[in-house]
This record gives sequence, structure tokens and C-alpha cells, in this order.
Amino acid sequence: MNEPNAVLRARGLTRTHGQGQSRVLAVDEVSLDVPQGQTLAVTGPSGCGKSTLLHLLGGLERPTGGEVWVAGRRVDTLSERALARLRRRSVGFVFQSFHLVEELSAAENVELPALLAGRSRRQARRRAGLLLDRVGLAERARHLPSQLSGGQRQRVAIARALVNDPLVVLADEPTGNLDSAATLEVLRIFEELRAGGQTLVIVTHDDRVAATADRLISMRDGMFVDDTWLAGAHPRGLGGLIGLEG
Amino acid sequence: MGSLTLVLRLVLADVRRHRAQAALLLLAVTVATATLASGWSLSDVNDALYERTRAATAGPDLVVLSGDTGRAVTSVLRTLADDREVVAHHGPYRVVYADLTTRGSLSSAVVVHGFAEKPAAVNRPLVTSGRWVRPGGTVLERGFATALGVEVGDDVTIAGRTYPVVGIAVTAATSIYPWAAQIGPGGGPSDYSGLAWMTVADARTLASSHDLPVTLAMDLKLRDPAATEAFRHSQHVTGVRVNFHSWQFRAQQDDVILKRSRPILVVGSWLLGLLAVTGVAALAAGRAAEQIRRAGLLKAVGATPGLIAAVLLTEYLALALAGDALGLLIARLALPAVASPTASRLGDPDGPTGAAVVAATVLALAVAALSTLRPTLRAVRTATVTALAAPVQQPRHRPWLTALSALLPTPLLLGLRLTARRPGRAVLQACCTATAVVAMVAVLTQHAQPERGYGLGGSSVLPNLRGEHDRQLLLAVTVLLLALAVVNTVTLTWTTAMEAQANLAIARTLGATPGQVTAGLSVAQLLAGLPGAIAGVPLGQGLLSIFAAPNAVDPPSSWLAGAVLVAVLATAALTALPARLLSRTSVARVLSAETA
Repeated sequence: MNEPNAVLRARGLTRTHGQGQSRVLAVDEVSLDVPQGQTLAVTGPSGCGKSTLLHLLGGLERPTGGEVWVAGRRVDTLSERALARLRRRSVGFVFQSFHLVEELSAAENVELPALLAGRSRRQARRRAGLLLDRVGLAERARHLPSQLSGGQRQRVAIARALVNDPLVVLADEPTGNLDSAATLEVLRIFEELRAGGQTLVIVTHDDRVAATADRLISMRDGMFVDDTWLAGAHPRGLGGLIGLEG
Repeated sequence: MGSLTLVLRLVLADVRRHRAQAALLLLAVTVATATLASGWSLSDVNDALYERTRAATAGPDLVVLSGDTGRAVTSVLRTLADDREVVAHHGPYRVVYADLTTRGSLSSAVVVHGFAEKPAAVNRPLVTSGRWVRPGGTVLERGFATALGVEVGDDVTIAGRTYPVVGIAVTAATSIYPWAAQIGPGGGPSDYSGLAWMTVADARTLASSHDLPVTLAMDLKLRDPAATEAFRHSQHVTGVRVNFHSWQFRAQQDDVILKRSRPILVVGSWLLGLLAVTGVAALAAGRAAEQIRRAGLLKAVGATPGLIAAVLLTEYLALALAGDALGLLIARLALPAVASPTASRLGDPDGPTGAAVVAATVLALAVAALSTLRPTLRAVRTATVTALAAPVQQPRHRPWLTALSALLPTPLLLGLRLTARRPGRAVLQACCTATAVVAMVAVLTQHAQPERGYGLGGSSVLPNLRGEHDRQLLLAVTVLLLALAVVNTVTLTWTTAMEAQANLAIARTLGATPGQVTAGLSVAQLLAGLPGAIAGVPLGQGLLSIFAAPNAVDPPSSWLAGAVLVAVLATAALTALPARLLSRTSVARVLSAETA
């Protein structure tokens, strides 16, 4: 099924790790369309290939087989340099472990992608200020990551992911290291993003996070085993995924 | 299992796991100690060679030289020989000043000593090839013959007359080649000269037939060989000018040819030691987190801080001592070539002296201690639980540097921030580059010096042995310094990149290209290397000024600027490869490893 306005598209996406007897099929010929503005949650047990899928969609890993398209452009054949530029402009990442630069303040972390994208320092600083304000951390802009709580760090990471107005934000277990209060803060931000039309792909174990999505995909052994459109008009069950429908 | 066995097992296991690091420490200590031991031994080795030659040739305790000839001089010399402190003498004999030519083009000043065909009691030159003088033939001093490339059976032309070379010999009565003429004609200054012997009659004929300058000399053996100064002061010669050259003076004169060799080797060994510390410290700092975790594991299973310190230090100390032993062996093998650039003295050096062995061992231990003591103490002092968490020392926040870097293009932004993360590493890189430039400045300065050859009129047909020897030593030390600097630069880039791997992976996730990351890593080394390279020029000049001759010539500024440029470009080229390799690592893998 082709979504005409898909921001992300994958066809027959496969990724294996290792060789010979130690070969592991992390992602097994999955196909996917993520339309503009959709919030997609991918769930599944540990080791089912969720994070690998996210890495493949964002160009952090190269697929062993299949194709990945971002905004209508095939990206799995791009050079490393072109992939970096694609991530800079079109993809924002949020990680479970935050992956902030420890020796940079919150504001400096947020403005880093803007500087890499060639924005002036003033523009980058202004944009970082706006985003930190949006995630409720304007007062903590000068704090180092080590001086912030887990929830605050994740909110800095979300602000960083948004600084270049990406087409899609890819979040890998964004609440995996957070307590309940911090999880709620992050969910509130994701809800705002969803309401604002931001395309989101969230890999998660957390049912509360999955419940905020427009669509829920379950993975097992590298394959999609369920695809549910929670708020939309295109529910697609297991049958659709394995090609028995349409 | 005893503590010693446990320490040895842990050390061996760690060496096996970190072979490259062990090899680097071994190599660095070996070259530093070999150089130091060679330099430190030179003077003593030279004394030993002179002593051996003096014993084998019945070397005189005093040589009395007069610039004049005639009855008055002969009378004074004979009076000296009759002194009760003199137990034996040889002479007076003629010293004829002439020119020697061989193979048509090699020309040199030569002093010809007129000797009896039968060896005397004092000053019996030892024939090392052929036979002693006979009528019509000449014997050449071995250092002179070697420089000329002349062997027994060849012909040489002295003052226009051809003589067959019947023998080659050594003596302790004169200085080594090219200082065989101890005084010049008339007692004036002498030129670079070789030494030849002829029969008394042939020397007289040579002098008279060409009206050549002649002086007189006599060799004395004293009752107390050590009392040469007392004997000299007890003589009140009037009306005739005579010079006394003692055997002690002669031994000191032998050092002249090695005057600059010792500082080249000793200062070179300091610089090599500095580079060894730099390289090993970089590697040790790169392993700090791992060492702390290892210390934590050992503490957790009951090891005392002393045992942990022993485990961590023994590896470096043992490797340093192994490097020291290797260095001393290399010094022993290299000393004959290093200590005896002429063939004027007998025998080979015995090897590094006791003082040199001690100095080299101290240097080796200092390298190991200076480069590893701090990380070892840190590992020992870290609390067990903290150590088990393998904490990486968090870089400091430097707001003004971060703000400054935000104004710069991406490679400079990344480079400046990498430099700011670990300023200590930048200092090590600066030291490394500065040392390499110091070596280049030394070579360029040596190259800029005007040099007078040993041929007639300063011709370089016979090259200046001292200059050649210094040049070769300096080149060898410089090659070693540059090789270590290269290894260190690659090591520093690698450890910098490994430590910043997570940050660089984040930067790549956020859109930095592999090229920008590569350039950033190179820039980080260049930011440290450039000031090091610039500082290396005045440092090199300052260091050389301590040992340089008063009339030494400075190399042109363009040469020095070229050295700085070469150092910077070489640093950029050397850092590019490890930086590129690391920038190609999978971002996802690095981030996953960080999460794990």
C-alpha cells in the first residue's frame, strides 16, 4: 500500500548482523509508509529489531536489503556524507540514554545541530532558547547535563532533535530511563508535537507512550506482527502485513 | 598463589592484551637509553682507547717540541733527556712539513717523522699492516691512511717525490688524524695534517731537497708518568722556545673530534626521553578508565592498594627495564662507530661505562614513572564502587571556547571543542611537535655551517671528519626523534578520537559528515601542533646556542619557516588516517555501546 504523502517509506527492509552460524536477522523484509504528521509507535520485546529499524529509517545503519525513502528520496544508496546532510535537515533523533554532550550546557547541546547545519551562532542560540522554553527548561539553559534530572535531559534531547525543524523525529525508548513524572512530561511534549503536525516514530516498551500514537506496530523477530491505526481510517491487521489483504 | 606470582600473572595478561602499547614503551625506552648510554660513555671510551694505544706503542709521557732547529735546540733537548726524572727518551727527531698527494687528486698536508729502522724504547709505533720504515718507503698513520683510502703497496707522492707505502701504523705520541702536526713550522699554528714516517736519512733528504720547513721533537719517559706537569714546571729553558705536550693533554685532545658528539647524543636522549614520556602518557591516559575499573575489580576481590599499585606499575617498570637492557646492548654495538670516527687509536670500546648504565637506567625508570604514576595513583585512590562503574573523567565546561567555536566552520568547531575536552592531550601533542621541530632546526643549523675540509687549502676532497661524524650522529638522532614523534602523533590522535568517539557519534547523528569529523580530529591535533611547531624554532635555537661554536651561522629564516610548515603538514597528514578510520565507525554501534 503506497501512501502518497509518506514522509518515510521502507520496502523489503532487511538487516542482518554477523556471519555464518552467528548471523542474526534483526529486521526481516519489513515494508512501511509513515504519512506526514503521523505519530507511529513501534513496540515489541527486547531484541525484536525495533531500534535497528529506527536506525535504518534514520540512516544511522545501512540495510542489508530493501529500500528506504525519506520525503520521496531514496536514501539507502546515499553516501555517508549525503546521509549526514539528510539527518541534519530532515531527521531528529531522541535516544533512551539522551546522548547529550556532557561538557556542553543544555543550550549549547540544543544549538549544536543548528551550527552543524550552517546557521549563525545568533540564530542557533535564539532557536535553542525558544525550544528550551517550549520544553519548559528556559531556566536551565546554562546547566550541564550532569546538573539535570533524567526527564530534563530527555527534554533537552527533544529540543535538540527539533532545532532544525526536521521532517520526522525518531525516538528510541524515549522514556526508558525515566520515572513516571518525567515520562508524563515527555508525553506532554510528544502530544504537543503530534498536535502540531510533527511526524514522529517512537520505539517503546511503554504502553502509555504507545497509547498516544496514531498508529501502533508490533514487532517480533524482526518482522511486523500487527499494525493498528488507532485514530485513523486505515487499520491494517496481521493479515495485511503478511500480504493476505489488498 | 603468592603475591609475586599473582602480580606477574596479571602483568603478563595485560601485556598480552595491550601488545602495541608494550611495544611502544619498549621501543621508546630502547632508543632513548641507547642514545644516552652512547653519549655518556664517549669521553671515558676515548680515554680507554688512548690508554690502550699508549700501552701498545710505548707512548711517551711527554713530547717536547721546538719550532726551531739547530745546535742550540738539540743541546736543550739533550739536556732535558739527561734529567734524572727521565728514564728513557727517543729523539730528537726531525718533523718535516710537506704536501702529500695520492690517486692524483687527494692532497693533504703531512708531517713526516724521521725515525730509525729499529724501534726505540719510547714511542714505538705499532705496525698494523705491512712493515716498519725502510729506505725509500714510507709508513702512514692508520687514521690518515684510512681517510686517504691508501693501503700497503700503494704509492704516495710527498713533496713531489713518490714513495711506496710499506706499512700502516698507530702511535700515541701525536694527536689523532687530522691533528698530527702538533705545532706548525717555526712553532706557529698548524694546519689539518696527517702523519707519515720515513727513515731518518729519507726525512733529511726530503727536507733538504725541497727546502721544506723542519722542526724538532723528542719523546720522554718519566720516572713518574703522572708527574708531567711537575717536570714541565721544573725546567727552565732559556734562549730556545720549546713546547711540552703531556700524555694527559694528548688524551684530552682526542676528545676534540667528539666535542659536539656528546651533546648531540645526550641532549638527543633527553628529547627522546621526553617523547617517550609523551607517547606512553598518552596511551596511559587513554587507558585510564580501564585501569580504574581493573583496580576496582581487584579491590572488590580483596587486593590491597599496594598490590594494585604493584600490578599497575610493574608492567611499565618491567618494560622500561627491558627497553633499558636492549638500549644498553645497542649502545655497546654502536659505540665503536660512535666513539672512534678515526682509525688512529687501537682496539674497540668495552661498552657503556658504569655511569652510563646508571644514567640510562634512571632515564628508563623516569620515563615509566612519569608517564604512569599519575593514572596509577588515581586508580589506587578511587573508591571501589566508583571504580567498578569505570568513570571517565568528565571534561570541564569551557563556555567561552564553546561560544568561540560556534562562530567557526564545522571542522574548526569540532576541532576546537575536541582540544578543549582534553587540554592535557593538547599539551602532549604540542611537546611532541616542538621536539620534532627542535630536531629539524638542529639539522638545518648543522647544514648551514661552513665547513673546512681536510684537503690542502681546506679542500673538501678530504672531508671534515668531525663535521661528517657530527652530521651522521645528528641525522641518526633526528631520524629517531622524528620516528617517535610520528608514532606519538598517531597515538595521540587515536586516543583523542577513541575518547571522543561517543561525542563524535552524536555529532554525526546530528548531521556532521565523516569528512567534517575527520577534519575536526585533524584540526584538534593541529591546534596543538601549530604552537608547538612555532615554539620549536626558538627552543631549538636556544638549545643549540648552549653548545654551538661562537662563530656558528644561523640557518636562513626561510629554512626555519619551512621546518614549521613541514611539521604542521606532516601532523595533518599523520592524523588524517586514524581520524578517517574512526570517522567510518558505525554510529549506531558506538551509541549502542555507550548505552550498554
